[in-house]
Amino acid sequence: MTVGLVRAIPKWIATSLLLLAAAATAQESGGTLRMVVQPEPPTLALYRSTANPVGVVGTKIYEGLLDYDFSLNPQPALAQSWTVAEDGKSITFHLQKGVKFHDGKEFTSADVQFTLMEVLKKSHPRGQITFRDLQAVETPDPYTAVLKLAHPAPYIMRALSGYESPMIPKHLFQGTDLQTNPMANKPVGTGPFKFVEWNRGQYIRLDKNPDYWKKGQPYLDRIVMRFIGDAATRVAAVERGEVQYAGVSAVPYIEVPRLTKGKKVQATAKGNEILNPMVDIELNTTRKPFDNPKVRQALAYAMDRDFIVENIWYGFGKPATGPLHSSLKATGLYTTEGMPDYARPDRFEYAAKLLDEAGLKPNADGVRFEFTLDLIPLGQEWRRLGEYLQQAYAKVGVKMHLRYEDFPTWLRRVFVNYDFDAMTTQTFHQADPVIGTHRLYHSGSIIKGTVFVNCTGWSSPETDRLMDEATVEKDPAKRRAMYHELQRELAAAGSVIWVNELSLVTVYRNEVKDAAYSPLGTMSSFDRTWIAK
Amino acid sequence: MNERLRFIWRRLLQGIPTILLIIIACFFLLKLAPGDAAEVLAGESGAATKEYVDTLRTKFQLDKPVPVQLAAYVKNVLTLDLGYSFRQGTSVSSLIASRLVPTLLLMGAALGFAIVAGIVLGMAASNRPGGWVDQFVSVLSLLAYSMPMFWAGLMLIVVFSLRLEWFPTSGMEEVAMFHEGWTRVLDIAEHLVLPALTLSLFYLALFMRLMRAAMLEQRGMDYVVTARAKGLTERQILTRHVARNALLPIITMIGIQMGNLVGGSVIVETVFGWPGLGQLAFDSLFARDLNLLMGIFVVSAVLVVVVNILVDITYTLIDPRIKAA
Repeated sequence: MTVGLVRAIPKWIATSLLLLAAAATAQESGGTLRMVVQPEPPTLALYRSTANPVGVVGTKIYEGLLDYDFSLNPQPALAQSWTVAEDGKSITFHLQKGVKFHDGKEFTSADVQFTLMEVLKKSHPRGQITFRDLQAVETPDPYTAVLKLAHPAPYIMRALSGYESPMIPKHLFQGTDLQTNPMANKPVGTGPFKFVEWNRGQYIRLDKNPDYWKKGQPYLDRIVMRFIGDAATRVAAVERGEVQYAGVSAVPYIEVPRLTKGKKVQATAKGNEILNPMVDIELNTTRKPFDNPKVRQALAYAMDRDFIVENIWYGFGKPATGPLHSSLKATGLYTTEGMPDYARPDRFEYAAKLLDEAGLKPNADGVRFEFTLDLIPLGQEWRRLGEYLQQAYAKVGVKMHLRYEDFPTWLRRVFVNYDFDAMTTQTFHQADPVIGTHRLYHSGSIIKGTVFVNCTGWSSPETDRLMDEATVEKDPAKRRAMYHELQRELAAAGSVIWVNELSLVTVYRNEVKDAAYSPLGTMSSFDRTWIAK
Repeated sequence: MNERLRFIWRRLLQGIPTILLIIIACFFLLKLAPGDAAEVLAGESGAATKEYVDTLRTKFQLDKPVPVQLAAYVKNVLTLDLGYSFRQGTSVSSLIASRLVPTLLLMGAALGFAIVAGIVLGMAASNRPGGWVDQFVSVLSLLAYSMPMFWAGLMLIVVFSLRLEWFPTSGMEEVAMFHEGWTRVLDIAEHLVLPALTLSLFYLALFMRLMRAAMLEQRGMDYVVTARAKGLTERQILTRHVARNALLPIITMIGIQMGNLVGGSVIVETVFGWPGLGQLAFDSLFARDLNLLMGIFVVSAVLVVVVNILVDITYTLIDPRIKAA
């Protein structure tokens, strides 16, 4: 009897725990998710724009061949399995069967071929780089697509999400002008939600795709995406519950602690692992005194990165250690070995010493030199960053002026006219350095008039070679070694100052569950998101 | 009546060169702003190749010289074609049409409230200068006059949406509900209250002060003595004679302030997420969507011209001594 009871207890506990666990995770179907998208997207043509709001809307409608876990390992999506050939020059995808576009037509390898070769390779802003070495897509049968590459291109396997490479229906796009095709703003995809209407200035409505190929999903009946231009009003709308979800830092960082204090709203930093945004200062190395690497390095030391993360981004992020985002640790590409320690306790003295060595002595007023920092006009955080840096640099005798202009003016000044001393920006490094990082350092990326590429004017044959070789290196160990070497070289060059890794913040009300289940964050398909009643 | 029609016709014709001048001035002003739509689109994408930007620029017809662009634009406007917004992928006229109604609703409600409340409060204040009503009205008008519009809007949201929960924070309707019929009208009315109130505050103060001053001025006129001698009651004198004359400066002010009202709606629409022309103008300015922006300028200019014609006609209705000529 006693023995039986003792035996029975753990079993009973186990059963009730299981029940509890089941109750805690059982998704409920139904309901409308009201979210805010900031700003209103200019278009819904995800296959030719990577702008954040386009990504937020488009990823619910279009899907990619692959999904990714938080360590950036490929997961099945429209492709249920894949094999990369021994020589790295061909990748075979086996597609899911029975997947239908929202208009009822089946999704096949012909759509893959068309999307990759005719659309992404030709007119996607990043696809033109990612698929540069893609020569053909063979379609031996409707459920097999074989990518043929001129060189091994390991980064392609990290660029096939629904956000980066959405699969679009060949039968609706073939032979049409991609720009003027009406499908651009009435998207038809294979995703968990169907496009219903776009009431400009107000909202976009998406309804559940009842024929979605993942059985039982999505859980939401409807998603309504609202546009509210004013940041303070967005916060009020979340606070009041008119909006249940605001991603991609639509709520200013400064408001997050207050909003989450009321226990009805949560905030998460998850969902940045694919975008990998970082805050950089980029120096115009064609101007004095930034032609001197010692000056550039000095400015990289003369700041308190912990202070910046805690007080400007409210803890959403962490200090940067080098040119790569630390979430690439999982891929082995990221390293701190042999890298400078920007957090060294004597960093300000060290910066002053470097400036002395560069021959920049303080004048009678204690000023070594002056320059202007052009802040990217993305909001109040950037102003505060500028104000902090102004004080930090003053400590080492550098007088910095701040300039805050509107976005088009800033773009023109920095990337078209090169009329700047230094600027601060956020760079999306993406899931592989080839896609997001090379452009800041490669000599081939110094293209006047092209935005968010190498505007520092700095490059070196050595780093160019490392990047070129790493691009086509299929042996992961060798590739890692190349990137470790590259990181050390770039730190020595100092053309870009890596300030901090930035976590775009997602704010959502408690009833929204599985709000951040993917490294794509707000740009995931929401097929698993649900609302507790 | 015939004379009046001729007057309207002539004023409309006079409006055309005005509008053309506005178009040309705005065109050059916009061209002075650094950056262009292609760069912004590429910039928002976070990355783009040179070919991509060049294709966009060719497509947007930004590769032609500025005078050619202007000539093409003016020619299109004269044929009532406002062009195409390459950024939004639709024609400018359809974009504006969809946004015009919310803006007119907002402006109409704000102006209507400001006029009615301004006249009533102004008259009340003028009744006993220095009395408590007058004191109250002047404090109110000072407050309303000096508050920055965006701040007033946010404060109204904090008080009436977040604390009291009487009104929604933003938007034109409860979009997740998809109301129809009368429930939709009520829903929109509920959303309209705070933005219309915010937009009206400044004009309310203006009209209140103007009405008070005009009433006081008119009450000292000789015709008031005459009317009194004729045996009219004070009430009749006030409403039929004094108020009617006092209205003229208010009507003038409406015409003058029309342009400002359009400007104010940009701020209010942005704060309240109201889907009108102002917000569209705001967005397209930062996107350097010049076709769309020019279209909004043209429509706003037409609006101001039309309102001013209406103001002139109203004059002749209120004061028969003024001829529509």
